[in-house]
Amino acid sequence: MSSTAYAEHRTVKRRMRLGLASKQALFAYAIILPTLAILAIFRFLPMLEAFYFSLTQYDLVHPPKFIGLANFVDLMGDPLFLKSARVSIAYVVFSVIPVLPLSLGLAVLFNRSLWIKNFLRSAIFMPVVMPAVVMAVVWTFMYQQDGVINTILGWFGIDPIAWLRSSASALWAVILIGIWRATPYYMVIFLAGLQAIPADYYDAAKIDGAGGWASFWHITLPLLKPTTLLVVVMNVIVAMKVFAVPLIMTNGGPADATRVLPLFIYQTAFEFFDMGRAAAMSVFLFVAVMLFSFVQVRMFTRGEELR
Amino acid sequence: MKKSKLGRTLSLAATAATLSLIAGGSGFAADIPAGFPKENVTIEIWWHEYGPFTAYVKELIAAYKTVRPNVTVNPVVTSSGDIAQKVAVGLATGTGPHIVDADASFYELYYNKGVLEPLNLGVFGAKSYDEFLTRYTPGGLAAGTFGGKVYALPYQGNSMSLFINNKAFAAAGLDPVKDAPKTWDDMKALGAKLKKVQGNRTVQKAFDYPYHSPRWEMQMFQPLVEQFGGKLLSDDGKTAYVNSAEAVKALTLWRDVTKVAGDPKTTKNTSSNPNQDFIDGLTAMWTTGPWATAQIRASAVKDDFTVASWPQVDPKKPHTIVYGWAWGVNKAKPEAEKVVAWDFIKFMLDKPSEWLAKAAFVQPVKGVSETAVAKSFPFFDVHMKDVATASWYLRSEFSSEIGQAVGRAIERTIYDGADPKASLDQAQAEVDKVLKK
Amino acid sequence: MTGNAELVVARPTGPKTPAKGLIARLLLRRGTIVVFCVLFAVACITLLPFYWMFSSSLRTMENMFSLPIQWIPDPVNWMSYVIAWQAQDFTRYFFNSGVVAIAITLGNLLLCSLAGYSLTKFHYRGRGLMFVLILSTMMLPLEVTMVPLFLIIKQLDWANTYQGLIVPFLVDGFGVFLMRQYMLSIPKDLIDSARIDGASELRIFWMIVLPLCKPALVALAVFTFREAWDMYIWPLIIITKDSLRTLPLGISLFMSSYGTSWDQLMAIAVLGTLPMILLFFFLQRAFIQGIAATGLKE
Repeated sequence: MSSTAYAEHRTVKRRMRLGLASKQALFAYAIILPTLAILAIFRFLPMLEAFYFSLTQYDLVHPPKFIGLANFVDLMGDPLFLKSARVSIAYVVFSVIPVLPLSLGLAVLFNRSLWIKNFLRSAIFMPVVMPAVVMAVVWTFMYQQDGVINTILGWFGIDPIAWLRSSASALWAVILIGIWRATPYYMVIFLAGLQAIPADYYDAAKIDGAGGWASFWHITLPLLKPTTLLVVVMNVIVAMKVFAVPLIMTNGGPADATRVLPLFIYQTAFEFFDMGRAAAMSVFLFVAVMLFSFVQVRMFTRGEELR
Repeated sequence: MKKSKLGRTLSLAATAATLSLIAGGSGFAADIPAGFPKENVTIEIWWHEYGPFTAYVKELIAAYKTVRPNVTVNPVVTSSGDIAQKVAVGLATGTGPHIVDADASFYELYYNKGVLEPLNLGVFGAKSYDEFLTRYTPGGLAAGTFGGKVYALPYQGNSMSLFINNKAFAAAGLDPVKDAPKTWDDMKALGAKLKKVQGNRTVQKAFDYPYHSPRWEMQMFQPLVEQFGGKLLSDDGKTAYVNSAEAVKALTLWRDVTKVAGDPKTTKNTSSNPNQDFIDGLTAMWTTGPWATAQIRASAVKDDFTVASWPQVDPKKPHTIVYGWAWGVNKAKPEAEKVVAWDFIKFMLDKPSEWLAKAAFVQPVKGVSETAVAKSFPFFDVHMKDVATASWYLRSEFSSEIGQAVGRAIERTIYDGADPKASLDQAQAEVDKVLKK
Repeated sequence: MTGNAELVVARPTGPKTPAKGLIARLLLRRGTIVVFCVLFAVACITLLPFYWMFSSSLRTMENMFSLPIQWIPDPVNWMSYVIAWQAQDFTRYFFNSGVVAIAITLGNLLLCSLAGYSLTKFHYRGRGLMFVLILSTMMLPLEVTMVPLFLIIKQLDWANTYQGLIVPFLVDGFGVFLMRQYMLSIPKDLIDSARIDGASELRIFWMIVLPLCKPALVALAVFTFREAWDMYIWPLIIITKDSLRTLPLGISLFMSSYGTSWDQLMAIAVLGTLPMILLFFFLQRAFIQGIAATGLKE
């Protein structure tokens, strides 16, 4: 047997041993590899380093000094951090929850034939495309005491609201912008989900005598579960990281009413030169979002992957 | 970009100054300091964007090339809101420029981090730092002097004075010069005459304190505390007196003046347009610096304004604030390049009257008042009077944290109606925590 | 394209008309007018800031905050556009933002869908862990990872380069998550039957899976393009050359702590939003087609 023939024989044997399943696995590894490589270099490494910073005293200039969990212990007793965490949680809760019924509701309304539907859908989608810096500046204009929003409210006999100039309303003003921008985006995702539900399901429900509300409750909602999961998790992550809008509009004020965690982290790192503390705060943020996403994914996808 | 009417008005003086710059250039060229490299060098300078200022520095860079042909100056312009962060990351990663530009109150922090190169006496032809200090107005370099050495040179050390809208005064039967408030009690009396409310809307405020950034809030609060005879920080910077009796009096006064004269809810001022209320005629009086002159003249207010000294608690013991930005040199750069950096700073600051003509920045050096530009600059004597009685913005490694804590205390009292003492007690606790570090 | 159409038609579930929910029918009975009015009102709310941005760009500085507010600018001040455009090198900034945003968007479309496909349609060791790790990358704000990330970029000598702006963002955990969630709903049978027909793995992905993901791809494209077009802090940090400045940095130069020309700022804001609007209108057709062509959630 010549050596080449022998090699050929071995290759054939290996190919047989590899089998279909492992060949597919190789392909699966290969196509996820670029993603993993880029993320490893540009995300994991900096993340690990940031985690390390959280255990150190690091003023950006001198090398980090290991201090164990001191940053974390300190943060737990820091009213400014706790306040900022509360603001962040309030922002996430109140900007995410209304978006669900609003975007789903709009999607349902659009999921039908309607005069100039395309025009309306485009119009309603527009907030998604406005750059954040621009959005912050334009809304600051509109929120002024004599601005366009208070003028419109005046038509309905509503007294002017101080919006950004009151610690009671500033966070709501910022939340409103978040809702304004997020709703259309998730509306479109819901719309895609809705249009993917086969019409026969509804026809069958109708034959069984189910009313509109019942079929929405028993067919539409359960079938939209994956879409809903996507919307909730995406929205929470985006809301948790909100930064540019409060930075430009209020810089966290008045009286800290809008200082969300990312803004506080930014100030701590680059205005106060306390990167160690800033990193520790981000670890809290990281754990919170991670836990939340994990619970959500578990709750929604139970059994789904087995299928 | 921004057509400065002020610049146009002063164009004659400016042209004269430019001519003298070119003429003076030859003297500068001959005057090469020790340690200046002969080979080609590139240095980088960062500064914050402001139309007239940027235009002038770019002009200076071009002019420098003619006197130091082997040096290339690489300019990086960043918006004022972002430059501190860019500098912070630059210092952290060793990618900073040779010359940094920062709000003067940042320099104590930079100095404490050990990232600044002290001023090169040889370049400036000075025997000692003490001798160098005498070239400036008393206290003019206070924000950049640490441990007896100068580390930062301000290109602006501006007064904060009271700008008055003449039309609003005239409408109330007042004279902007004679009736300008000298004390805060005067201010309260004027508040009743000048503030106009229609239904649920304030259509004209008499005067308002700023709320668009903690820094501006602190700029007003610090001199108020000093006017009551107090201070916010001990001289060694280790103890804060944020809730002292004087500070509580200052915040109480702030609140009382605001009640009769202002309306913090009705304001169009933002951190990127601090003078909007004044140029729109929404407020009759406003505190700002000489740099605002061009913007006010270009607005509907035109030349119908008067500048008065900032009101006092006791006009016999005046206290005001001076605020500005300064150049510093990055310690991490090679020696020869640091010599070039100081040489370029010297070149830039050489003509204080040009800074005044082109950017309306007041350099705290002696002799500015005598120049032709200063004589034609509106209300220059008033600005200088307020500079003479001023201290620099709070000097501390933690000036940002302290400023924020005080700003929050002010906002709690003004927006949420919190008691001034309780509000400042909370700020004191926050500041104590920071100072312990 | 024709190949895709055949495959789509060949699906076991068959072609579907968009479902008309019972609720929708109920509302139809009550009157299309009500729905129309509701949507019209919502559209007014969503468009108001755009109108305000545009009208502000045309107001003169004197009229910018006039009372009562000026709904229609008078006089109309087109000069703000000319002055703003000339104030900085905006041609260059638009070009840079375009290059960066397009590159990042294409990268994400390809890499996120490949990764999502791998995570949903194959079984292999470490799959769950990989997904969690990928997810975890989107939970830390850039503000904290920025300094270490910049040090890596510096090591690579990528400061002041396009690759420094692009490569770190070529793929994003968010996009992988989106694609994975969408691909969960693609029936495995479809892929298996293609395998039996002898199609290669890459071909299956390209010809069958990707076309089915059109709505998700468009959603991802819009989102990624916007984020990249918006990118602000990162270019601020790594770019010191004016010729590499991106648009948001150019816009921010108008916001000076000494005073801002609102008309010019708004004019540049309008111009900076236009590419996004155009992109959306262009993609919307693909989006709608995409939705119409699929219909297969189980």
